[in-house]
Amino acid sequence: MKKALTLILALILALPAALMAQGVHIDIEGKEFRRLKVAMPSFGGQRPLADTLWATCAKDLEISGAYTLIPPRAYLNPGPMSKVDPSTMKNWSLIGADYVIAARVDSQGGLVSLAVQVVEIATSRVLISTAYTARVETPHRAVHTFMDSLLGKSLSLDPMFSSKIVAVQKVGRRKQLFTAWCDGTGGGTIKGGGDLVLDPAWSPDGRKIAFVSYWRNNPDLYLLDMATLRVETLSALRGINTTPGFDRTGRKMALTLSRDGDPEIYVMTVGTRELLRLTTSWAIDTSPSFSPDGRRLAFCSSRTGNPQIYVMDIFSRSAQRITFQGTYNSEPVFSPRGDLIAFTYLSPEDGRYHVALIRPDGSGLKVLPGTGRGDESPTFSPDGRLVAFSGSDGNIYVTDLAGSFLTRVTGAGAFSQPSWSPVLQ
Amino acid sequence: MKNFGRGLCYVVFISLIFFFAGCEKKKVEQVSEITPPQQQGAGITPSAPGPKDDITMPGAQAGGGQEAGAVNLTGAAKAFEDNDIHFDYDSFSIRPEDRRILAEKASYLNAKPNVKIRVEGHADERGTTEYNLALGERRANAAKEYLVFLGINAARISTVSFGEEKPLDPAQTEEAYALNRRGHFVILAQ
Repeated sequence: MKKALTLILALILALPAALMAQGVHIDIEGKEFRRLKVAMPSFGGQRPLADTLWATCAKDLEISGAYTLIPPRAYLNPGPMSKVDPSTMKNWSLIGADYVIAARVDSQGGLVSLAVQVVEIATSRVLISTAYTARVETPHRAVHTFMDSLLGKSLSLDPMFSSKIVAVQKVGRRKQLFTAWCDGTGGGTIKGGGDLVLDPAWSPDGRKIAFVSYWRNNPDLYLLDMATLRVETLSALRGINTTPGFDRTGRKMALTLSRDGDPEIYVMTVGTRELLRLTTSWAIDTSPSFSPDGRRLAFCSSRTGNPQIYVMDIFSRSAQRITFQGTYNSEPVFSPRGDLIAFTYLSPEDGRYHVALIRPDGSGLKVLPGTGRGDESPTFSPDGRLVAFSGSDGNIYVTDLAGSFLTRVTGAGAFSQPSWSPVLQ
Repeated sequence: MKNFGRGLCYVVFISLIFFFAGCEKKKVEQVSEITPPQQQGAGITPSAPGPKDDITMPGAQAGGGQEAGAVNLTGAAKAFEDNDIHFDYDSFSIRPEDRRILAEKASYLNAKPNVKIRVEGHADERGTTEYNLALGERRANAAKEYLVFLGINAARISTVSFGEEKPLDPAQTEEAYALNRRGHFVILAQ
């Protein structure tokens, strides 16, 4: 009897340990998920670069949706701290940190080095001890590489910080393309492109951007090679040539053409420019987005009288309407994981535009709080955990699928129509 | 002989036009470099707008386009361009009260058989950029189809959608929205 009791007791004690051994479970959709608490004293090494990269790290921790930075004023050792001193472990534990990050920043010979140590407080285990380097012109790149490896090592999450956002930037009366790293660092205008540029979309290898320009006084589609900065014409047919969206292979592109009179959805074979028309309704059909497996398209159609979201099986051409709330649902985008569609939703409750999420079968509509002042044009992060969108104030914001945080990633300027790149090498 | 010389000139000239038009299709265009950030920091530092024509697409200026509207028009022609038609929210139906305006445009076009026009479709700023571009296209086409219905040769009418990109009144009021949901008519060649 006593033996049995001991066994049961042992099992009860072993259970949490067994659960923990499986690693931290993260519910990406997540209400349950608790952000990991991180202490990060100011970095050692060369100033002011060390402070600049510290600020980028701090912003990235916030954008990650996975970590919370404990405010430095709470630290017993405020830094600068280049390496984690094992004797200070208890201090970090006292303020509730799960991890402590220390780093030293140096620059030499055109390279920036970010030598980082990440220590797990509970176990004193060194999670990361690596020097990340980047060219001095793009120092934030070192932070992005570090943050991606932190996501992987601490939470087994896919990389996402080594990615860019392209958006439309309004300057005076002109609209141009603008790219920045997804946290807003390293931003720059792509000059030229005509006076009016719209609808940018990344190719899945991150090397090209498809976009609409009125260069020839008509909304035509072009493809910009980011390495050579050369532009080629993708489609310049009569009527609109808009809303490019690549499939995962980059060989196909879904787009809107009105060459036959009204806006319809087509798929183009990019190599040959061969076109396949997919919709035949008399109404407006636009904004197609491929599912990750390339078998389905989410799109917007006004065939019932006002814009709603539909999902079409490309091979059978059968389309199912998936949105039934509200009278203006548009700009659907498939998540890279294929299980969600984000779109622009005009809320019947407050009469404002919001970013909303819905499953491809039409269930689980979830409106993200966003700015609450009019949000449009959602785009998923390459790992599918986060959503960027443009606010009516002309800024680009990042939020997570639960809407648990909201971070502005643009500074001064007027930006719209963000498109998030894949992870760039 | 003199005529032959002039004829030859035309032939050469026209050949040149086609030659350049042919080049235009194959040529790829150079885009200016991405400007590096001006300062380091967590926020984006937008660079200053570039010179007006950083890259010029060959042939971009060809074909009249928006510049045509700058021609000094008088009398009937001016009235033709000044009178817009308007649309209801998220609609591309021709309003009954605008039929008279379109009939006037048709009679002008009948009187000037060489005139070619472009119909611009516009939307108000509400709704999304992508949908509004499609909506503007439907509005321009609706106006064109009505003129064709009134007997105007479709080949004389081209269309372009500007979506919500060119509001007449940038205010966020119902009056401004109503003004911006429009079909605008431009004379391309007389």
